Amino acid sequence: MSASILETKALTKAFGGLTAVDKIDLSVEAGKITSVIGPNGAGKTTLFNLIAGVYAPTSGEILFQGNPLGHAPPHKRAALGIARTFQNVLLFDNMTALENVMTGQHPRSRYGFFEAAFRLPKSHREEEAISLAAKRYLTLVGLGMYADRNPLSLPLGQQKLLTIARALATEPKLLLLDEPGAGLNALEKQSLSELIRRIREMGVTIVLVEHDMDLVMGIAEWVIVLDSGQKIAEGTASQVQKDKKVIAAYLGEEEAIE
Amino acid sequence: MTTHLFVQSLTSGLTQGCIYALIGLGFTIIFNVTGIINFAQGEFVMLGGMLSFYFTRSAGLPIIPALLVSVLIAALIGAALYLLTIRTARRASVVSLIIITIGAAIFIRGIAGEKWGVNPISPPAFTGKHPLHFLGATIQPQALWIIGITLAAAVVLHFLFSSTVIGKALRACSMNRSAAGLVGINPRMMALIAFALAAAIGALGGAVVAPLSFMSYDAGVGLGLKGFVAASMGGFKSQTAVIAGGIVLGVVEQVAIAIDWGPFKSEYKEAIALVLLLLILVVRSRKLSEEERVS
Amino acid sequence: MLAALKKHKWSYVGMAACLLLLVLLPTEYLLAEKISLLTAVGVYSIVAVGLCLLMGYTGQVALGQAAFFGLGAYISAVLSTTHNVNPWLAMLIAAVATGAFAYVVGFPILRLRGNYLAMATLGLGIIMWVLFRNLSQYTGGPDGITGVPDLSIGGFVFDTDLRKYSLIWAFCIVILLISQNVMRSRAGRALRAIHGSEGAAESVGVNVTQFKVKIFVLSAVYASVAGSLYAHQTNAIGPGSFDFLASVLILTMAVVGGLASVWGAVFGAAAILILKIEWIPEMSKMSFFRPLFMSGAAYLISYGLLLMVVMIFLPNGLFVSLRDAFDSWRRRRTQRGVAG
Repeated sequence: MSASILETKALTKAFGGLTAVDKIDLSVEAGKITSVIGPNGAGKTTLFNLIAGVYAPTSGEILFQGNPLGHAPPHKRAALGIARTFQNVLLFDNMTALENVMTGQHPRSRYGFFEAAFRLPKSHREEEAISLAAKRYLTLVGLGMYADRNPLSLPLGQQKLLTIARALATEPKLLLLDEPGAGLNALEKQSLSELIRRIREMGVTIVLVEHDMDLVMGIAEWVIVLDSGQKIAEGTASQVQKDKKVIAAYLGEEEAIE
Repeated sequence: MTTHLFVQSLTSGLTQGCIYALIGLGFTIIFNVTGIINFAQGEFVMLGGMLSFYFTRSAGLPIIPALLVSVLIAALIGAALYLLTIRTARRASVVSLIIITIGAAIFIRGIAGEKWGVNPISPPAFTGKHPLHFLGATIQPQALWIIGITLAAAVVLHFLFSSTVIGKALRACSMNRSAAGLVGINPRMMALIAFALAAAIGALGGAVVAPLSFMSYDAGVGLGLKGFVAASMGGFKSQTAVIAGGIVLGVVEQVAIAIDWGPFKSEYKEAIALVLLLLILVVRSRKLSEEERVS
Repeated sequence: MLAALKKHKWSYVGMAACLLLLVLLPTEYLLAEKISLLTAVGVYSIVAVGLCLLMGYTGQVALGQAAFFGLGAYISAVLSTTHNVNPWLAMLIAAVATGAFAYVVGFPILRLRGNYLAMATLGLGIIMWVLFRNLSQYTGGPDGITGVPDLSIGGFVFDTDLRKYSLIWAFCIVILLISQNVMRSRAGRALRAIHGSEGAAESVGVNVTQFKVKIFVLSAVYASVAGSLYAHQTNAIGPGSFDFLASVLILTMAVVGGLASVWGAVFGAAAILILKIEWIPEMSKMSFFRPLFMSGAAYLISYGLLLMVVMIFLPNGLFVSLRDAFDSWRRRRTQRGVAG
């Protein structure tokens, strides 16, 4: 029985009158690829934002590796080992691709203003390490030759890969991918699936929110289905596909589940 | 402190507070419709005083026409400010917008100093300077004008926002700019109106307070700061709260000065506004929810 | 080491050129009689750099840097005259005190969304000026403080114009280099990340609020050091140098130089001081401009126009825009070279 790396207990988030996430209990098994799906407005991104610490829960709690996250702000959670990507990419366009990935090493390095100001040996040592690690992650996602390019000069598919590299550079235990497949063509989605599997081999737990059912069914080992802020089903990909509640929830959507 | 002095402070505080309230309303209108803090807001107040001085003393117009013309000109300048600077600087960052409006404020101040010199001026009082007496305190008739006009302005604005088409369009814009655009409201036109309206309100305040307490070309910054504090107290939302905030600031200022001890001397009047602002901000940053603190 | 040298090749060339310029300028061949202007550029560059970093990287506007500039000047002046404190120690005390003050003010405000810092620092600048003017028993009131001693190391006293020029520019260069080092480091990346996207920066472990506060405090400390140097350079200070207009002056320097640029600040300081001390007085002599420049309003009109025009058309500042234009010209040349 694998340990659960992330748990939520009666997690609720209300914005004024709208309850985006409604008493959700879920558990993510360590080392597996879990996917969260559901129709638009189901509360998937809100859930991510709650886990990442961008929103504070209205009630309920989130446990990471057994410990409650409480009010920890996003940057603390990154240090704890929770990394994420964004639906709208959010790359830093004022630095090169490599430097973008190097920012990911921020929680794994220490030297500050003082060491930097006077170019102390510690700063040189850590910069070396940061640079090497960043190069490794950049190469891992297949963007090694774009190290010195401006991120905005890359096509969307590669920009998304870059954000994954940046998130990986934080050396997370849990990686939250927010619609990594959106806007990608079939070939790019293929490489994405392979990349996600490779990341899993590294021992990182992955949770992804995704609309593309083929992508999800192809790599997810566990699927959680949300609708209107509540969990309506969970199971393996094939179990969920056949679940009547899930089909009903999606009937209002364009996408049919094959 | 004697009752007489206290009542005096209350009345002058109320009077000053009304002006701060008007300035605060100007800030609030622009911020709600466009999301911009207009650092030139205080300069419109100054312009109101300067222009009405010019039209009454130099051009010899009677008071009411001079007032109307001044307010109108200020509204036009406000519109010009929006068109020439903010409209032109497409997709400007928050920093850029702040600096642009500061630049505009400095520029307007410079032009005013150039045209009207650096000495404080005072247009004629609306109904003379014969003081009235109330509960042992002396009140200038102009003070009553100030309070009355502020009240009238508040009522007109309330009516404007609740019952007229333009007012509702402005409110729609402040709630959700893109949604407003989708139902046919032109957000740029609304922004233009907001700027003109805020400038007019500010100028009105300046024109009615200048006969009472002089106006000089560099009064804009201090007035702007105080109007901002009033608007902050109202959370940049409720009209009533902004007006209340302005009056509270005015009264606290005057009472503190009347005490005239240590840090509460008249020279440090500005400090009171700033301390209040810092207190508001500290209180607000304490009871902040996560959404507001993090992007 | 050599890799770093190669990567920043042009900036080393630029720096060497500037150093050469700095050494030659105050000599008889060039601008000896303008040495006080040149020294002032050094002083104000230090203040401007701090503001550039604050505005450029954390997107916060500070409209009251003259408050910190003045604090540094007054604390140094008061301690070294009335209390006979060693001027270097006084400068250190001033820097620490000003930094602490900035922390206390900045911490609650920078936690908030939106730009409350702008208004708060505006108010702060006004208050400090009022205090400088009115706390006569400490600050000498409107007349200020005179008899501020020169700085000295051992027996070597910085008393002549040339010695003061050298000392101030030595400080300036060290501060510029330190700032550049920080910008190229992990902290600098974090700051650039904040500028790019605060949300994304948080997601990679950057404590955005803490960095904003740190940079705000840094800008205050820079201004304080500059203020102390200013006091020991002019040997007399008064509240008139630390009013709202001074804050506007500093803001204009930072904007013209370029908000996220370290070296741009020097450019901005030089440009605005030349405008203020040389050009405007010259223009007021020309009969065509005379009516416009009769009153002190000329300065206000110029700064206001500059702020608006630069921010609307060249939001990255003049220096940075020029540098970027140079960079893209260079890139186009090498690309053509490769193709051919």
